[in-house]
Amino acid sequence: MNEVRKHPASYKDPAGFIFSLDGKIYRQVNKEYASHYDHLMNSGLYQKLVNSGLILPHIETNLPFADRDNGYKILEPETLTFVSYPAEWSFDMLRDAALLTLKVNLTAIEYEMVLKDATPFNVQVHQGKMVFIDTLSFEKYDESKPWVAFRQFCECFLSPLFLSHYNSAELIKLLSVYIDGIPAGLTAKLLPFRSRFSLAAWLYFYLPGMVNNNQGNKPQTNGGFNKQKLQRLLQHLTTTVERLKCRNENTVWDNYYQETILGKEYLEEKEKIFRSYIDVISFENAVDLGANDGHFSRILSSKSRVVAVDFDHNCINRLYNQAKKSAVSNLIPLVVDLSNPTSAVGFANTERQSFIERCKPDLLLALALIHHLVFGKNIPLSNIAKLLSMMTSKYLIIEFVPFEDIKVQELVKNKDNFHRNYSQEEFESLFGHYFLISRKEKIKGTDRWLYCMSKK
Amino acid sequence: MIDFLLYLDPGSGSYLLQMIIAAILGALFYIKGIWWRIKSFFMPRKNKKENKASGEDE
Repeated sequence: MNEVRKHPASYKDPAGFIFSLDGKIYRQVNKEYASHYDHLMNSGLYQKLVNSGLILPHIETNLPFADRDNGYKILEPETLTFVSYPAEWSFDMLRDAALLTLKVNLTAIEYEMVLKDATPFNVQVHQGKMVFIDTLSFEKYDESKPWVAFRQFCECFLSPLFLSHYNSAELIKLLSVYIDGIPAGLTAKLLPFRSRFSLAAWLYFYLPGMVNNNQGNKPQTNGGFNKQKLQRLLQHLTTTVERLKCRNENTVWDNYYQETILGKEYLEEKEKIFRSYIDVISFENAVDLGANDGHFSRILSSKSRVVAVDFDHNCINRLYNQAKKSAVSNLIPLVVDLSNPTSAVGFANTERQSFIERCKPDLLLALALIHHLVFGKNIPLSNIAKLLSMMTSKYLIIEFVPFEDIKVQELVKNKDNFHRNYSQEEFESLFGHYFLISRKEKIKGTDRWLYCMSKK
Repeated sequence: MIDFLLYLDPGSGSYLLQMIIAAILGALFYIKGIWWRIKSFFMPRKNKKENKASGEDE
């Protein structure tokens, strides 16, 4: 048996913790949380949430406790395909996560329980939809007290959603810096003047500043609250979140395939070669870098679990909504910029892992991507080869776009300072350090090439 | 504002705020209730008239 490894992010809650053992993830429930856990399981709340598809199911195991002195139960939750972070989500993903959290809380109140925390890290994309994953977030409900996680909900969910609604969904990325939520005071400063005509903006952003300023360090008094008031508050939060809309900005990739030479024929030819490659390799999970409209991610999703990544927010938001609508259950779209992927943050820089650390697929896809990195971001081809070899555990399907390509010419049109040692020979030699080139084919009607490589 | 909040528990800082929000929402709910009662006072009569009108047509 291997060593028990406590998850670095699982240190805040004394009710229990997450640990890994023999490649599996478990959750220890501590003795001090026993009465709350028993209430969750015996009141019918857990079953209700599982039946409604709102919570990640778990089973109780007989494994020895990871922390013997405090152990009460060991749970084995259903395995997640990929752990994504809120800063990587699109607007509608974050909005769905907020609505889920409110729905879980409203359901919990019916069973005399309440959520003691409300962070988007408690939600993950699982089988095509948002699910609540933290079994230890429920505590017995004391009607006289207001919601303990109210401020956390406002700062973790409402702040980025309001900033996206009134400014730009690009501001969701602030969550990568403010992992415990964007402070309400800061959000109030960033919101435009027209937000002052919104009752919700006043209640959840402008009012907190006024209340806290006048309150000073006066002791907090409990009591005077009741279930009806909390339900009304949660219902108002739900209506508020439902009314928020993502500002419709044009995507960088709008009509990418429709315009110029990159039309239908190019796409069909590329798809034909791509399908012939994936038919002969075996893989269980894939990551599509620069997924664009997700055309190739959707093809892969019929064979394996896929994480589709693009730096363009609107592409990913659209892909999420399409996947949700067509009930594609094994596709996770994420907003990640490969030239600046999500970094490791939090306590000791280990609480939240970097995107690269979390990304270890069997198959990595980099279609029509490298020219953007080389000529758009000035990243040398050798660095890209090294990075992609670090990211994949088995295969790489990559498209080589020659310097003469119309898209490359567009990128270098007004640029003198770029890496000039860019050729197909150089590409094969540099990638050859890390990979065996098993197949390569020219995409008919273009000078682009599609490669299938396996890691050395 | 942010400075002194460092010394407050993140949850407790919002208790008074929630009381105020709950009071505002309660008041709005009450006003909305009165509005609906006024509205519904007129609505059934309108419906009755409509029914009567359609009955006469038959």
